[in-house]
Amino acid sequence: MSLIESRDGFLRMLRDELGMDLAEEDLFTGLDRLAVWDSMYLLRLITAMEEDSGRRIEVRRILEAGCLDEIRAWADTRGDRGAGGAR
Amino acid sequence: MGAQPLERLRSLRASGRLESDYPRVAPLLAELFDGPDGPAERFSALFRAGRVLSAIDTDRVLLHHPDTPVVSVAVTGHGTVAHLLDPLTTELARHGMLARVQFSDHGAYLRDLTDPHSAFRTCGAELALCVLDAEILFDQLPLPWGIKDLEAVTTSTLHQLSALADRYSEDTPATLVLNTVPLLRHHTQQLIDRRGRALLGAVLRDFNAGLLRLAARSPSVEVLDLDPLIAEGGPACDARLARYLKAAYTDPLLAGYAREVGHLARSLRGMAKKCLVLDLDNTLWDGVLGDQGPEGIAAAGTYRGEAFGEFQRTVKQLASQGVLLAVSSKNDRAPVLEVLREHPDMVLREADFVRVNASRDTKDGNIRQIADDLDCGVECLVFADDSAAERALVRHRLPQIAVVPLDEEPALHVTRLLQDGWFDTRLPTEEDGRRPDRYRVEEVRREALEETGSPEEHARELEVKVWMRPPDTLELARLSQLTLRTDQLNLAGARLRLPDITALADDPRHLLLSIRSADRFGENGMVGALFLRPDQGQMHIDNILLSCRVAGRGIERACLSALLEYSRAAGLRSVTATYRVTSKNRQVRELFPELGFREVRDDDNGVHYRHDLDVIPPVPEHLRIDSRFEGLVRQ
Repeated sequence: MSLIESRDGFLRMLRDELGMDLAEEDLFTGLDRLAVWDSMYLLRLITAMEEDSGRRIEVRRILEAGCLDEIRAWADTRGDRGAGGAR
Repeated sequence: MGAQPLERLRSLRASGRLESDYPRVAPLLAELFDGPDGPAERFSALFRAGRVLSAIDTDRVLLHHPDTPVVSVAVTGHGTVAHLLDPLTTELARHGMLARVQFSDHGAYLRDLTDPHSAFRTCGAELALCVLDAEILFDQLPLPWGIKDLEAVTTSTLHQLSALADRYSEDTPATLVLNTVPLLRHHTQQLIDRRGRALLGAVLRDFNAGLLRLAARSPSVEVLDLDPLIAEGGPACDARLARYLKAAYTDPLLAGYAREVGHLARSLRGMAKKCLVLDLDNTLWDGVLGDQGPEGIAAAGTYRGEAFGEFQRTVKQLASQGVLLAVSSKNDRAPVLEVLREHPDMVLREADFVRVNASRDTKDGNIRQIADDLDCGVECLVFADDSAAERALVRHRLPQIAVVPLDEEPALHVTRLLQDGWFDTRLPTEEDGRRPDRYRVEEVRREALEETGSPEEHARELEVKVWMRPPDTLELARLSQLTLRTDQLNLAGARLRLPDITALADDPRHLLLSIRSADRFGENGMVGALFLRPDQGQMHIDNILLSCRVAGRGIERACLSALLEYSRAAGLRSVTATYRVTSKNRQVRELFPELGFREVRDDDNGVHYRHDLDVIPPVPEHLRIDSRFEGLVRQ
């Protein structure tokens, strides 16, 4: 099971890869209001999520996401949608 | 093995002790990078550590540890550069340094290099990184494009960068760091004819070769070659991250780039290492000498043996450029010497080592003794051993030493040894190539003199001769190295890079004198320097340096006496000097009073001395000095 499939796993990834100690509710805070967030982290996060899931993530969706949980959800579901041909 | 030190690093941060415990960070990182992990794990560990470290409060570290070296870095580039922060912070922390990094907006490199008021030019950084990628060329091409277009663009861009680099180094004291631009498949495959594709490769490599030659032309420009980093670290670019985030390079490549920058900063600070200390069993040869005897070990003729042979050849290549070699082994000395003298497989022989320490002592004691014998600190040494336990012990007891993690796979020994540029210098110098010989002669001297009595008798026995002369252009590189490497006899503690020395030599207000010496065993080469500034009837000594290689022979006293004599004969009123205390130059303090200088003031700038040229101590009897001051003071 990959980390991004659960919020707990995703929080652990954020802690290990980005050094961010966050609580579950922070996942739903808008990225523009999340003090510890910097768009610079996207690069590392995308790489980490792809290594974790073994699937290609649609980067554009991640860039458009409003909060961390949306990022997680897109990263988690992209493979299924890809399989279903929903480009 | 990787998780544990990272956890300790995180707990330092969580408890707010990252700053107060900063000296613990470098050893933790050394531990983090030790071990069997492959490149991918290493990059991952580097980035994770970088996330912990980049939040560090530099000022608070300096409050607790004011001597921590701070490297100020300005970063600009064609793409986004901000994600260099983590790897840069970590790589500098590995060397015990702190980073102050200032980033420009993405794509701002041309403005940053041209505008004299850009923060990149005016922020006073010592390292100015300008991260280039091939899009600086391809962005300029028309659509459609052909080889001629690319040729025109590469020619004009190289010309432009070269002019900008020249102007940059005239205007600022920073070292400007450029890089070669990798050729990617999405460039080459845009041409479908193979001849055109081959030409494209040639044109782009000509551009990169031109960039690399800029470094040879200007002393304050460095050009990092990204090709070897890409060959090691995998893909250079992710098309999606390049498109959407303007990230020209992948994280692993940037990690390699930051590692090079760390070593560059280290070498500019004169912190390059001098001596490689090697274990023997399963490090230099396959097998355990004590168990298997000389017949049972190999460095040729078998799969594993060949790998050890290659390692020995690499070590010999480093030694030929001035890296000193020493052995630290728990084997008995006699069989070790027998192998080094007689074993047919050995590339490295007894004469290649300045010290062979083979004894039952612990490795840290053994290594400390090597440092003492070489008259240098443990921080000048690099230690390579295949045993994780020995490495851990040495790291723990001698945290200043650099440790190369070898393991049971000898085919990786060369990679591991060369992974870090511990011995990097800007230029080869004539002295470097001959350094190991000098130290070996030093051992003969030491042994010869141990039989005689007092220090004066030692010096008399040596028949020391000293020459003081204005340096010629070729000697300036060596002079710069002396300021970077000499700690103990360094009056002002100043460290001058080659451009600084060249500027001083060209400045008519300053006078430089190189000090060379010889004794009955041979020449010592350039061993010191005097930095002088005559001003209104006075001579001010900005600095005097003397290599610890020739310490205890009275050379510094002879040179200063000769200077005092000359100053009096030239009709000067006095000779002055200012001594700035550093952590290592305390022995200079007694030198001036002993020569008849009076302390006139002690303030924030240091201790000020003056000699009124009344009673001048004679040049010590046991040495002869030949000084050329003619024309030094313009009357």
